[in-house]
Amino acid sequence: MIQVQGLSKSFGKIKAVNQVSFVAPDGQITGLLGPNGAGKSTILRMLYTLFKPDEGTAQVDGYDVNRFPLEVKKRIGVLADARGIYPRLTARENIRYYGYLHGVEKSVLEKHINILIRLLDMQAIADRKAKGFSTGEKLKVAIARALVHNPQNILLDEPTNGLDVISTRAMRRLILRLKEEGKCILLTSHIMQEVAALCDHIIIISQGSITASGTADELKQLTGQSDLEDAFVAALGVKEEWG
Amino acid sequence: MIRKILVVTQKEILDHLRDYRTGLTTLLWGLFVIFLMGGMTMLLGANLREKLEKPFRLSVAGMENAPNLLAFMAQQNVIIEPAPADPKAAVIAGDISVALIIPPEYSENFSSGKTATIQLVYDSSRTSVVLDKIQVEELLKAYNRYIGLLRLSVRGINPRVIDVVQIEGVDTATPQSKALLFFSMLPYIIISVIFTGAASIITDATAGERERESLEPLLINPLPRGWFAIGKMLAAIPFTMLTLIITLAAFAILLRTLPLGEIIGIRPGFDAGTLATILLLCLPVIFLAAALQTLVASFTKTVKEANTHLPYIALIAALPGALIPLLPIKPALWMMLTPILGQQVLINQILHSEPISAINVLVASLGTSLVSIGITFIAVKFYESERIISR
Repeated sequence: MIQVQGLSKSFGKIKAVNQVSFVAPDGQITGLLGPNGAGKSTILRMLYTLFKPDEGTAQVDGYDVNRFPLEVKKRIGVLADARGIYPRLTARENIRYYGYLHGVEKSVLEKHINILIRLLDMQAIADRKAKGFSTGEKLKVAIARALVHNPQNILLDEPTNGLDVISTRAMRRLILRLKEEGKCILLTSHIMQEVAALCDHIIIISQGSITASGTADELKQLTGQSDLEDAFVAALGVKEEWG
Repeated sequence: MIRKILVVTQKEILDHLRDYRTGLTTLLWGLFVIFLMGGMTMLLGANLREKLEKPFRLSVAGMENAPNLLAFMAQQNVIIEPAPADPKAAVIAGDISVALIIPPEYSENFSSGKTATIQLVYDSSRTSVVLDKIQVEELLKAYNRYIGLLRLSVRGINPRVIDVVQIEGVDTATPQSKALLFFSMLPYIIISVIFTGAASIITDATAGERERESLEPLLINPLPRGWFAIGKMLAAIPFTMLTLIITLAAFAILLRTLPLGEIIGIRPGFDAGTLATILLLCLPVIFLAAALQTLVASFTKTVKEANTHLPYIALIAALPGALIPLLPIKPALWMMLTPILGQQVLINQILHSEPISAINVLVASLGTSLVSIGITFIAVKFYESERIISR
């Protein structure tokens, strides 16, 4: 479970995140929906302890991100916005490296890796060097290494960004499967349909602040729009121009 | 937790063993030593022998004015040649290195016992000419003295009265140290190897990771961030050592295969054991180089940016070596405390077969190690800042 209270972060004069509070419970998919540059990735970066919040607190399974960063990192699996893998290592070696860094015991680790390779349908590339992998193949490696220690909380930054339609559907199936396992899933997206299709709870972020939140139906009701896309735009509270 | 640092180290070693560039650096240094140093030594040796064996050719204008002088020179294995019509122009053009001009009044002055003037034409801005000029001057001085002694004898004066002092040289250079003039490049090469051997590995492991966008996900793993810096730094050390070993081995092969006895007349007296001592002495410098490079890699955003900083770090590092000839002969405490300089002075002593003191080795090693630890600490601080991932 992830709890966030009054989280704020500035870069110079720019307030990237302003007084954000929400709860992402276990067994649910929580979506942070917002346009590019709304502050979604910055919120995630504070949750995975790479950025320190200026104000506010956040806990992962009860551990404060500021005071117990290592405990937090043990309990999260992250697909960051940056998802580079090591081109000179094979897919399996890439995943194994993260397993070792999490201190997963060797016999357990190899079993986990094999399960993930089957689950993500990457048998064909598992023992190939990652140089020259397609975007989809790279993403599979990045997802597998994020899940190698079987984390309870999963943070996904734009998980389907750059994927073709087949890979997008496979990714959605995986996310739903993780939800069924009772994981706490927090994802960000700027694609409204994706959030509508996946999320139990949607949080709309605009210019660093939460402008609306609820289920898809609640959001439609709240904004008085029958179409979710219109509801999203209405909730952003901005004029429809190139921003 | 130490085990997790080693996980990072192990991964980096595997990663870079698969990178052809790593092997290339090592190989290039080996080849550089064998071909460049070997070639240079052969060339210098050949040049030296040629100079010693070949008779000296001297261009003279006004040969008919001083037959005695020229006969004296011919006895000293000098081939006298008539100078071109304009000796000065020929010297300026570089056709001849030096020219002797004997004016018509020489013969008259000489016969009447007056000081006779002759002109030596040379271009001192050409370094290659200096030796020729000195040789001619020496010959002229010898002739001067020879005739002077004769004139004193004729006047019934003991020629000894003009010998006020006599210089007797006692050369304390060992045969090894003479031969080592040819290998004085070694300390410089060692430092260069240490600072370039694994530079690409360290920049690739931090700045390169950032460029490939794999640094941010890596730092989300449950390790204090500075430990990644330390793990990566440790990974560079075996590669630097390997490059240094190969360079020293190439050097050892060079010593064994080059006919040094023939080329420079002397065989330097150091062996595999000496080279191993040098390697051990360099360990703290290897640590220092890795720490400095990790620091640079941690605050630069791209490999390209890191590569603009690293060359001058290597240059500054090798600089103390250039100071050694200017320093007092006896190693002082401050020299040993100066990182790199201490080691270079010690390497120099080893190469000159001088005894080295254990305290100096200890002070130099400790001093350099402490500075390295300090720099590592700063690099770790950079790793812990948010800047490391913000692009």
